[in-house]
Amino acid sequence: MKSYFDVFMICLVMLSVFFLVYNVEHELSEIGEFFEQGVVFVFISEYLLRAWLYSNSHRIIIHEYEKAEYLNAKFNLFNTLKIVIAKKLEYMVSLFAIIDLLAILPSYRPLRILRILLIFRLFKLFRYSNSIKVFADVLSSKRFELITLAIFMGFLVFISSIAIYLFENNSSGGNIEDLYDAFYWSIVTISTVGYGDITPQTIGGRLVTVTLILTGLGVLSFFTSIIVAAFNDKMHVLRENRTYAELSRYKSFIIICGFGRVGQEIARQFETDKQPFIVIDRSEHNIFLAKQKHYLSIQDDASNNAVLLNAGINRGATAVLCTTGNDVTNVYVTLTSRHLNPAIQIISRANRQDNVNKLYQAGANSVIQPFEIAGLLAAEYVGQPVAFEAILGILQEQKQIQMETVVVQADSLLTRMKIGDIGFKERKLTLVGVISSNKMHQKHHNRYRVKNQHFYFNPTNHFELQAQDILVVLGREYSIEHFQDQIEKSRLLGGKK
Amino acid sequence: MKNIVVFGYNRISFEAISHLDQSTHDILIVETDLSQAALAEDKGFNITSIDFRSDEALKSIGIGSHIDIMFCFLPEDSQNVFLTISARAIAPSLDIIAIVEDPQSAEKLIAAGANKIIDPYQICGQKIYELIKKPDITNIIDHTVFGRHDLHVAEVVIPENSYLEDTYTSGLTLSDDHNLVLIGVVDKELDDDLHFAIGEKDHKLDAGDIMVVLGPSREIKAFKKEVAHVSTDKI
Repeated sequence: MKSYFDVFMICLVMLSVFFLVYNVEHELSEIGEFFEQGVVFVFISEYLLRAWLYSNSHRIIIHEYEKAEYLNAKFNLFNTLKIVIAKKLEYMVSLFAIIDLLAILPSYRPLRILRILLIFRLFKLFRYSNSIKVFADVLSSKRFELITLAIFMGFLVFISSIAIYLFENNSSGGNIEDLYDAFYWSIVTISTVGYGDITPQTIGGRLVTVTLILTGLGVLSFFTSIIVAAFNDKMHVLRENRTYAELSRYKSFIIICGFGRVGQEIARQFETDKQPFIVIDRSEHNIFLAKQKHYLSIQDDASNNAVLLNAGINRGATAVLCTTGNDVTNVYVTLTSRHLNPAIQIISRANRQDNVNKLYQAGANSVIQPFEIAGLLAAEYVGQPVAFEAILGILQEQKQIQMETVVVQADSLLTRMKIGDIGFKERKLTLVGVISSNKMHQKHHNRYRVKNQHFYFNPTNHFELQAQDILVVLGREYSIEHFQDQIEKSRLLGGKK
Repeated sequence: MKNIVVFGYNRISFEAISHLDQSTHDILIVETDLSQAALAEDKGFNITSIDFRSDEALKSIGIGSHIDIMFCFLPEDSQNVFLTISARAIAPSLDIIAIVEDPQSAEKLIAAGANKIIDPYQICGQKIYELIKKPDITNIIDHTVFGRHDLHVAEVVIPENSYLEDTYTSGLTLSDDHNLVLIGVVDKELDDDLHFAIGEKDHKLDAGDIMVVLGPSREIKAFKKEVAHVSTDKI
């Protein structure tokens, strides 16, 4: 919302400046006049609104009144109003407020000199752009160096102005008329610009010039190096801000804490899936890897509240994945995330069996143990190599065979249908079971409790599907998609009736 | 009785060993690190410390003779590759299963002669991804494959003269008669690959073919028995 307003204001400023510049030599048409008045109206309302929002006068008055009542003192309206006005004045003397005010003035026709204030209308543009704020930040971080430099330059200009005036005044045969000329010449020379409109004629004047040019070079390079160093220092923050700005474009994303092998694997899957995510890792090397792949990433400590908040744990993140190889870190990040957002899904990796319960205690929704799974698979391979192949195939979605869920929508053809009538064989699908929390199914056998639902393995042909049941089927990607499409279509047709 | 040798004692080997039936598997652990070896010894495992770089040492523990399966769970990929190459040279028919740290090493291990590669990080990443994308499926797989409930994936080899010989997969009514879901078939007539039973192709079952089924362990046992039992009737 704010960005739309900013763009609108920038357009308005540009247009109004264009009209005013045109007005310098031409007469404005009636529409132009009308437009100018409209712009001024918008500017004035903006100024007043900002002044009004700057402080809450209402609250100040109530606060003062309550204070007076509590202290049994007499409520002094005059003093309270003084506080209110002081607050408003505080706004009015702030830099941006002054610029805003000056930007309104050029429209005042009778005083043509106010035209010059048109420039302020352009300054107003800075208000709507972030880059100037960043620049000001960078400069203010080097305040000490800049002030030192400014004082030094002030002395230099002062000395050289006096010196050149002494050597090059009109009576000495030079062409410096007065001290203002000398000052102008000093600045032109010290900056190494050197227009050449005023040139030294005497030997003394030339010596002053040579000295000033040489010191000018030094001052300039010093100034440049300060600015470069300041930007270098802030680069990290600037990049991070860029990452956050890009992240804020996504409505929902996932935070991956730890970009080791597991994190990389997840990121790779998300990338092919076009699922937005952000990587947080402390290691420079891991962040370098993430940056190489153009993933959004922050090099920071994920157990730090501020880092997770900045990464949007309360603003769009749907899940936090703790995937580092260190269980202590995983527990800490899990705990921090749960504390910051009680509703978010947290999946954590446990490298040791004894830490699984700690992770659940810290607030993880699911815990994955990579070494346990690997060991299990290895054991499976010993007894049943083919079954192992099947499991691995399904786990890793090899050969495009997937296990997938199909939800029975309330108004689709599947509702109240019997399993035997669906014809999974013709659809080239294998039904593994049905997940449901519906109490109607509880008479059926093969019931397994899975979290707060039941999994009905291999339901019989007369198992009647209910709305919100979930079918678990095995098949090729496209057969499953086709089946889902058909259900969706039947739902749309059903909805029309 | 199957003879298994496990190189490297760590969390993966511990998990693998504890999931193996100790009564039907003879397991030997090779670990040179003394503290790890002591841990394994505490658990009551057979343990030895030989130098895996020496062919003689490998032969001395039975590679090339009575060892059927070898697990390479050494911490470094390069060590696992070296071990695989050495063992494959000595024992061409040995079943070698190796873990891999860096995905690039997977090809090298296969080239060195490993039968199966397990990448714990890749599987873990995949599982976390699936938990986000398909939480229901992951739960089901957890309960079936990773056996928190009584459901298991099992393979059933069709013995000679079984009543299933010369029948077609399309004619099987496992889900009605045995409460099992057929996941796939290895049709030895075609190749050694697993063909998922998703109604694409009708396979004729012969002796030696393998069916992969999913179901409660009681039903799996009963089915295995039936497959074998009927065969004796036929004779």
